[in-house]
Amino acid sequence: MAKAMTKHSDTQWIPVSFTLNGRLQEIEVEPHELLLDVVRDQLGLTGAKRSCDVEVCGACTLLVDGRPVSACTTLAFEVRGRSVLTIEGLAQDGKLHPLQEAFIEHGGFQCGFCTPGMILAAKALLDENPNPSEAELKHFMHGNICRCTGYKKIIESIMAAAKKMRAKA
Amino acid sequence: MQFQKEVEILAPREKVWQFIWDVDRFIACVPGCKDAKTIEAGKRYAATMVEKVGPFKVEFPTTIEVLEREELTRIKAQASGADNKIGSRMKLDLDVHLREEGDKTILGFVAGVDILGKLAALGHGIIKRKADQVLDEFAQAVKTKLEGDG
Amino acid sequence: MLRRFRLEEPESVAEAAELLGRFGESAKVYAGGTELLLAMKEGLVQYERLINVKKLTGLSDVTTADGTLVIGALCTHHQLENSPVLRDKLPALTKLEQNVANVRVRQVGTIGGNICFAEPHADPGTLLIALGAKMIAEQSSSKREITAEDFFVDAYETALQADEVLTKIQVPIPAPNARSAYLKFGYLERPSVGVAVAFNLNGGVSGVRIAVGCAGPAPRRVAEAEALLEGKSKDEALRHVAEAGASAGRAAQAISDLHGSQEYKEHIVGVLLKRAFQSALS
Repeated sequence: MAKAMTKHSDTQWIPVSFTLNGRLQEIEVEPHELLLDVVRDQLGLTGAKRSCDVEVCGACTLLVDGRPVSACTTLAFEVRGRSVLTIEGLAQDGKLHPLQEAFIEHGGFQCGFCTPGMILAAKALLDENPNPSEAELKHFMHGNICRCTGYKKIIESIMAAAKKMRAKA
Repeated sequence: MQFQKEVEILAPREKVWQFIWDVDRFIACVPGCKDAKTIEAGKRYAATMVEKVGPFKVEFPTTIEVLEREELTRIKAQASGADNKIGSRMKLDLDVHLREEGDKTILGFVAGVDILGKLAALGHGIIKRKADQVLDEFAQAVKTKLEGDG
Repeated sequence: MLRRFRLEEPESVAEAAELLGRFGESAKVYAGGTELLLAMKEGLVQYERLINVKKLTGLSDVTTADGTLVIGALCTHHQLENSPVLRDKLPALTKLEQNVANVRVRQVGTIGGNICFAEPHADPGTLLIALGAKMIAEQSSSKREITAEDFFVDAYETALQADEVLTKIQVPIPAPNARSAYLKFGYLERPSVGVAVAFNLNGGVSGVRIAVGCAGPAPRRVAEAEALLEGKSKDEALRHVAEAGASAGRAAQAISDLHGSQEYKEHIVGVLLKRAFQSALS
């Protein structure tokens, strides 16, 4: 949906300068705009999904300064001065992130709807704790819901990626 | 949601009955009720119900219809209202009865309340408590008004 | 989509309080927004202005002063679950904070926002009552203390006045022989029942404080249940804990709803009190 560029004198515009997937972005948003809408509609990155819209399912997970947030319930201006990572920014120079490779190798997704959020949350987990126990993994990932897999393959994928990432480090 | 309330009023039955039909004074007993109007005496009335639960406020312009009437004994009424700002509707079925006990009048009512729409998102428990509170305060206010007037 | 609102970004508590006073019901304090934005998205509330309090300084630390732990209202759950000071002095609160909602809500949600929104199905309030916490509320040029017991008035309603800003939560640092525990139960997204217990252990149990939350409209202290355990020896108290649990269950003001029937919730209160008490003793 193209954003109306008419500027009314009494409309409040907030300049938001932030890093998106490693690149500097400078946009203007109104206070009420939600991060998920700006990322999907204005910036064209549709990996993050609007699913429950109440911060419960994790399908809209984005990483802000490396930490997971619900983009559906985050006001867009809150990312000013911060770095935002979407699923589109995970692969580097066409090479998939170990988490993405592991999800493919171990069948960590079926319909794929929860997957962008799932992988980003897993990245935040492994950045915080490179060697999580299964209990620690489940606790961290508790807020990311999957309707298809039954979670077993998701856990396997994350654990496999963690092992690979520790070996490389 | 069903509620049942009874209140003892130290006043004769006729006085209580008269009070009920004195729409302005009667409606004033309902907490949050304002702007009472008679559309058709004895049959149809209008009022605005304003209720608040914490930061959540609703304003229901309400129409009240009297369905049945048994002199000095019983009234059956129905009220409904909608708050379009919040997208919620309210329905109330009211059965009011009076009986004498010595020099006291027992005013009892059975109320069926339904809240539909977004407000229901607050949770059945919260709404039930609020409705219960409103009906309690209402019964007390009627008693106080009637007893206070001597 | 949210309805349009104006963003105000005060740089002092006095400024924030002044804005609240000036704009009244058409303005609301906004911190993490994890509850507020949901209500706004639902259309249940509308505001012309949101007052972003995240630029206020000095409200996101955990410090100690004169035997008191001072928690800034703007501390996020994530900060609190990782605070070494908190883990050292109040491990029960650390554990509670680790289990609030999910990792994304913990990342941006604040403890101040949580207790000020006063959603019935929340955790921190219940334990704060059992720990004898005090809330510090500030206006433009005045400050006052509100005990946790008095803070939670009703569902979504606190003792804060319209132009007051919650700035700090003060918790007395427990004595070495003090014990506390918080347990919750739920299978929906928010907890259905929460029970907190705190006491001193010195031969027997004394200074017992019990609080119940989530089951009723607001967390509350249950003096009736406390009396059944107060001053008893450890073993005697354990024998009476079922009775205390039943008393706490009745006092919880539980209502039958999607979270469970009144009887079920009352029963769970009893179970959680027993387990919390045992957990605190161990």
